[in-house]
Amino acid sequence: MRSRTMKRLAIAGTLAVLTACGDGGPILQAGNDPAPTTPTTPTLPQVTVPPVTAAPGETLPPTTPAPTIPAPTTTTTPLSDLPACPVDALAAASGPVELTFWHGMKGGLEDSLVKLTDEYNASQAKVRVVLQNQGGYEQAIDKYVQSSESSRPDIIQTPEYAVQQMRDTKSFVPIGACMQAAQMDTSDFLGRALTAYSTEGVQWSMPFNVSNPVLYYNRRVFEVAGLDPNTSPLSLEDLRSVSQTLVASGAAGTGIGLDTGFDGGGGWYIEQWFSKLGELYTDNGNGRLAPATKVFIDNPKAVELMTFLQQMINDGLAFNIGDDPSGQGVFLKMADSTSPSAMTIGTSAALGTVISVLDGGLIPGLTGADIGVGPMPGPGGAPGVLVGGASLWIVDGHGDEKTAASWDYINYLVSAQSQSTWAASTGYVPVRAGALELDPLKTTYATDPRFKVAYDQVNAPSDALTSAGPITGPLKQIRVVVARAVATILQGGDPQATLTQAATDANALIADYTARNSD
Amino acid sequence: MALARRTRRKETGLAALMLAPSLVVLGLFVLYPLGKAIWLGHQRCNSQGKACKSNGWDQYTDVLRSPEFHHALIVTAKFALLTVPLGLVLGVGLAVLADRYLKGIGIFRTIFSSTVATSIAVASLMWLFLLQPSTGALARVGWITRLFPVIKTGLLNDKGTALTAVAMSSVWANLGFTFIVVTAGLQSIPRDLYESAFVDGAGGWRRFTNVTIPMLGPTLLFASVVLVSRAFQAYGEVDLLTDGGPQPQGSTTTLTYLIYGNESTIRNNDGLQATTAVLLFVVLLVLSAVQFRSFDKRVHYAS
Amino acid sequence: MPRKREPGAEPKRRFSKREQGTIASIDSAGRGWRKVGRYTLLLIVTFVVLFPVYATVLAALKPGNQVLQHPFVPEHFTTDVLRTAWSQGNLGRYLLNSFVVAVIVTVAQVVTAVMSAYAFAFLRFPLKALIFAVFLATLLVPFEVTLVVNRRTVDSLGWLNSFQGLAVPFLATAFGTFLIRQTFLQLPKDLREAARMDGLGHWGFLREVAVPLVRPTMGALALFAFLSSWNQYLWPRLITTEENMNTVQSGLKLLATADVDKPNLVMAGTLIAAVPVFAVLMIFQRQLVRGLTAGAVKG
Repeated sequence: MRSRTMKRLAIAGTLAVLTACGDGGPILQAGNDPAPTTPTTPTLPQVTVPPVTAAPGETLPPTTPAPTIPAPTTTTTPLSDLPACPVDALAAASGPVELTFWHGMKGGLEDSLVKLTDEYNASQAKVRVVLQNQGGYEQAIDKYVQSSESSRPDIIQTPEYAVQQMRDTKSFVPIGACMQAAQMDTSDFLGRALTAYSTEGVQWSMPFNVSNPVLYYNRRVFEVAGLDPNTSPLSLEDLRSVSQTLVASGAAGTGIGLDTGFDGGGGWYIEQWFSKLGELYTDNGNGRLAPATKVFIDNPKAVELMTFLQQMINDGLAFNIGDDPSGQGVFLKMADSTSPSAMTIGTSAALGTVISVLDGGLIPGLTGADIGVGPMPGPGGAPGVLVGGASLWIVDGHGDEKTAASWDYINYLVSAQSQSTWAASTGYVPVRAGALELDPLKTTYATDPRFKVAYDQVNAPSDALTSAGPITGPLKQIRVVVARAVATILQGGDPQATLTQAATDANALIADYTARNSD
Repeated sequence: MALARRTRRKETGLAALMLAPSLVVLGLFVLYPLGKAIWLGHQRCNSQGKACKSNGWDQYTDVLRSPEFHHALIVTAKFALLTVPLGLVLGVGLAVLADRYLKGIGIFRTIFSSTVATSIAVASLMWLFLLQPSTGALARVGWITRLFPVIKTGLLNDKGTALTAVAMSSVWANLGFTFIVVTAGLQSIPRDLYESAFVDGAGGWRRFTNVTIPMLGPTLLFASVVLVSRAFQAYGEVDLLTDGGPQPQGSTTTLTYLIYGNESTIRNNDGLQATTAVLLFVVLLVLSAVQFRSFDKRVHYAS
Repeated sequence: MPRKREPGAEPKRRFSKREQGTIASIDSAGRGWRKVGRYTLLLIVTFVVLFPVYATVLAALKPGNQVLQHPFVPEHFTTDVLRTAWSQGNLGRYLLNSFVVAVIVTVAQVVTAVMSAYAFAFLRFPLKALIFAVFLATLLVPFEVTLVVNRRTVDSLGWLNSFQGLAVPFLATAFGTFLIRQTFLQLPKDLREAARMDGLGHWGFLREVAVPLVRPTMGALALFAFLSSWNQYLWPRLITTEENMNTVQSGLKLLATADVDKPNLVMAGTLIAAVPVFAVLMIFQRQLVRGLTAGAVKG
């Protein structure tokens, strides 16, 4: 009976596969009429605005220096075409305005957000904010786009990769409108954080939790290997030589642990490295001059970078952690009992958690004080990274009072004092400079410079488009595609061929997104 | 005659009344969405599932022929092959083992059926705790990792073992169910069948193969149909244990995970999601038909 | 070779109760060394089956700095983690939600199944075969197909974050109808006739004769419905945007992603989530077995 079931199952399975046989195209192309599309010919019918001469991002060979942000950008949406932000409407509210805020903060980060919000609710009587944890950014985005307008929250926190997708829902009051209405002085703000969330000349959302990747390393292991525990490698060459020292001295089993997750070493970091290289990640000025039509993920510098990482793995100087969906694996590899890594790259937002978990004694033999933090190493050794993390969006259509109340709360969250508290307890970068002058962050930065690393590297001034990071509708899916390519390469795949395939897949994602969302 | 007709009419009214609640629920939440999904399957919508436009019915055949669908179908079939036969063997084995009059057998039965109380989330988190590469409990025990080095890199992280590891957790979670079903099946076998077999001089093994197994036919059909459909709809265990990885192989990207998974490239793409989901339905239909037909013969033959 | 014995010579009580085991091997039960072997086998299987549970219980009872030291050694117990998981994970509320939804679904499924099964079994009406075929067809539709559309339906009804949203799509199943109908059909044909002679209408017959006779099947269906509802994973995650409306499964996912760095806390939550169902199982185990037999034999 059993073998029979099995046989039947096998037969049915093969049958299904057989009927499905044939060399089908990728799932994204299903149903599409065959068109002579080659990955290098972008088709974007709706972009009719001719590119300004100062910024022919899409025609430049990728190796030329990146253009600076021209103002205004090519495709500009005037604020008057977008929902207005009546910031004074709160005064007219009769009772307390209740706001629903969907966020994606987890664990200790959530605790900090709850604390900040509780203080806000207690500090005034006009607005009451109700936090609703959606279980992560992904779930928040999904539920938002699937929900009818009346089921949507008043404020939503979404990550930097979702800017275009959120914008395309056409359901938000741009923060820029509120800034303008409130005559807000933004000179104190971290310029890059604002830039990250603006396209078409519109500031769409308010940066709230800014993070970027930093190098975590085990200071004790550095000491054992005879390295200075106060300096960490910056360039790729340094990374390699430090790793060699670490491994050769026997202090560590491997130099650095690398993950290939889409929101880590497989996707997000790659965009960071493009920025460090001064390379555009997509055409049309990283999608900031006009909607992106193709990625440059297969450019020679990227191939070179990937070849370097592959070599590190092959030489035992780096260790491939894999997808690491929980984000924990890279840190736990540092605490591995048989073959620990001395370094890893992780988001600065994890710093607070990493220190408290280690001090809590979860991992035997490793304490919070053993962890050193340095700038993210990368090609060229130049500092500077992209803005990661998430921003806050005000949902349109819930009435003037709610809009004004949302603005009031967001204003509170990005106040210098709130940002000081927030950054000190989490490891996020404060979005405004004023926060550095206030306690607790002032003390934290003075006493524990590890927390300041992320701030310093994202604060390195650059107004190149390459420092603004890519914007495109399916950026999350592109990261998934690129992450698979990185995983392939770290497992021995040919860098050039793999990246070329990834570029083809990513371009298909952009074409599909554009076709579905252009009307 | 008139009376009969009136009774008939009255019965029709009563039937409508009695069927109404079920028909409303099934109509609104099964038939309507099924029809809508089939329709959506030839469309492409924007990222909010609106502004849907036809992309041609060949979207179905194209998805069916796409490498992504093939891959997920093969992973799913493998998952079913790993979970269903083993689940049935273990279920029958345990049920037969516990189907004796022994002191304290009740306790053993309770234990064997206990995993029916663990939901997929509970079972997956239990196994995650055991199997995670570094925080996993098994990886923390020296002799285990020395004996099985793969536990150190993580059964869930290794492209060769990830699917098997997920399948094991699934088999464990379903064991209670299979045990109960088979135990129930065993108890409904008339004992005189065994007695006459015994009188005919049949030994333990022959009674098992000649009486127990044939008489369990309908039970095994039921259990296998349930297990196959659970295997083909497995989502929670993949979501909690592997996120469809390890990549780039997508070793645990099952059909449901291809459609709804965190790393799906057709997320927020309602049309393609519907196409793929409807094809999953078709696959299940074919499988059920095959199962029923193959078992039908056995069952009739047995009785 | 087993010693030949007259089957009749077997002590009667050994087979008098079905629960005491059928006679897959009449000859071998109860002989000394075989008994030892069987117990050994039972204990080994018990160990394998219970091992994950054992690890979970230990982890749930250990403080954070001990949980990974010697994960399988029972030492350093504390109940603090369970308490934290209960309060921080909001598990009380989630358990209540799951319980309310499961009870609504269970009661409704049994009622709708009995009514529609009665119609199929005892009433004559046009298109009966067709309607029954439609019922059967719904049995094969996987939930994944209807998910996206159902979410929109529930949203447009304003039922996100509500017990209606969590329960209504599952208030009727073809499985239940099918199961009860089969049991109805097994009742002696002349029962209905006799009842009519006694002046019982359909409702009276249903209430006073048919339902009492199929009570065991109803109990089994109830338990099956309860467990299926309790174990819903994808649906509650899709339609809840308010934390307070999470069920225990979606709540566990929240806890597991939020406190990924606290394995003992996650295990404590897991344990808390498993205990109530286990209790239900203990109480209703026999109904489950009986009902599943019905489902198995005729399903």
